[in-house]
Amino acid sequence: MHFAPLPYLDPGSGSFLIQLAIAALLGLGVAFRASWGKIKGWFGIKPKQTEDDDESENK
Amino acid sequence: MTNQKTNSGHNPASFRDPSGFLFSRGGILYRQVNRVYEGEYVKLMGSGLYERLVKAGYLIPHTEVSQPPLESESSFKIIQPERVPFISYPYEWSFGQLKSAALATLTIQKRALKADMSLKDASAYNIQFVRGKATLIDTLSFETYHEGQPWVAYKQFCQHFLAPLALMALKDARLNQLLRVYIDGVPLDLASELLPTKTRFNFGLLTHIHLHAGAQRKYSGEEVKSRGGSMSRQAMTGLIESLEATIQKLDWTPRGTEWGNYYDITNYSDAAFEHKKQLVGEWSARLKPALTWDLGANNGEFSRVAGENSAYVVSWDIDPAAVEQNYRQMKKDNTEYLLPLLLDLTNPSPAIGWANRERDSFGQRGPADLALALAVIHHLAISNNVPLPQVAEFFAESCKWLVIEFVPKQDSQVKKLLASRVDIFPNYTREGFESAFKEKFEIRAAVEIREAERVLYLMERK
Repeated sequence: MHFAPLPYLDPGSGSFLIQLAIAALLGLGVAFRASWGKIKGWFGIKPKQTEDDDESENK
Repeated sequence: MTNQKTNSGHNPASFRDPSGFLFSRGGILYRQVNRVYEGEYVKLMGSGLYERLVKAGYLIPHTEVSQPPLESESSFKIIQPERVPFISYPYEWSFGQLKSAALATLTIQKRALKADMSLKDASAYNIQFVRGKATLIDTLSFETYHEGQPWVAYKQFCQHFLAPLALMALKDARLNQLLRVYIDGVPLDLASELLPTKTRFNFGLLTHIHLHAGAQRKYSGEEVKSRGGSMSRQAMTGLIESLEATIQKLDWTPRGTEWGNYYDITNYSDAAFEHKKQLVGEWSARLKPALTWDLGANNGEFSRVAGENSAYVVSWDIDPAAVEQNYRQMKKDNTEYLLPLLLDLTNPSPAIGWANRERDSFGQRGPADLALALAVIHHLAISNNVPLPQVAEFFAESCKWLVIEFVPKQDSQVKKLLASRVDIFPNYTREGFESAFKEKFEIRAAVEIREAERVLYLMERK
């Protein structure tokens, strides 16, 4: 397990483990969405814009 | 952040993170970036992440300056962050303000990940309202992201943001006051216990709060390294998006009269209201204050009048619905000079945290150049039994100039307050009021409000 230097916060054992479990599950969702987008792309269906564009202003 | 400083010159709100610290010199706030943080700082600045976040209004801008460091041995650089117009704390924010702060934190995390960086903390105290927007003020919150690494700030994010937002939206909006007691956010076992059972059927709240609290209980004190495990970038994205979707769905809209137009339920006429506005406008134009406090601001109507001639106005009110309405309005109008905040004047925000010096009290963040106290005197003197000389003393500590409205016993609002109790306030008269306030203030003007029995005063602190 790699931590960047200076993890001055205690991530907490329980918080850490539950995060791994939840994120693994949610990661599957992200992977599925990406694949599904590709499949739809083969049929010419454009994906909905859900990704943050990295530039839009704080509202 | 706080206005105070320790004997060494450090800002007492900035000590946990070894990456650097805040200090003030000659009235200017600086941040020392320590050598241990050099790599991360260079990456933040060099990757374009800093520039993108600042441009989009998510991160406080700073300049690198050639000031001598406070601790030269550990110092890499000194930076001067843009001054935040007024420091406020999450227990003073309305639901919408805390939600904006939470969503800003998650957007920053998403954008940081794209630049291979990640937030190493997610404290609500790192967010302040600048130009009306929830803005990250801790430039040293970023670390290099290595795929596999979980989000070290996940627990802090849930405690500082998700738990109080869920409690406010689904239980009671007043529960944000728990943040005043728990400086590191609402403990998740407490949130889990207080939230209604139906929240267990909400995937986001089930996992990030209920199961999270259960895991904390079960694995408390256990070492995690031995268990290994790592988190893909996709999993990290899934986690952040899930927190974002859970928070997006939380909403709080006060119902019934709480949400009505405040000024429809007042007892004075349009002419009286306009006369009051005109006087507040004229007097603030004459004073041109840098900082105005509107104490008992309701939805901020008079704050906006004063704001035409003040650099910055803080609209304080005791009613979470009024503060929420004020915040939504300013967001809609893109108002930059206004900050609505929650405050009980009879029990203002105390100094809290380590040595009681991490977060400033209400008074330590003053005095304001100008304070408005419109239609509040009867609540302080009659509902709360504060003798008039003590009310005068409190205002004299809070501001240099004061616009205060005296509401006499003949006024129907005061009659209402006295309807259910014995009148033990023989000094609550215009004469009694003036003589109490003359101890602390020079009365510069006193104008009887048209079509009302009230008097508006302009006073200057002695």
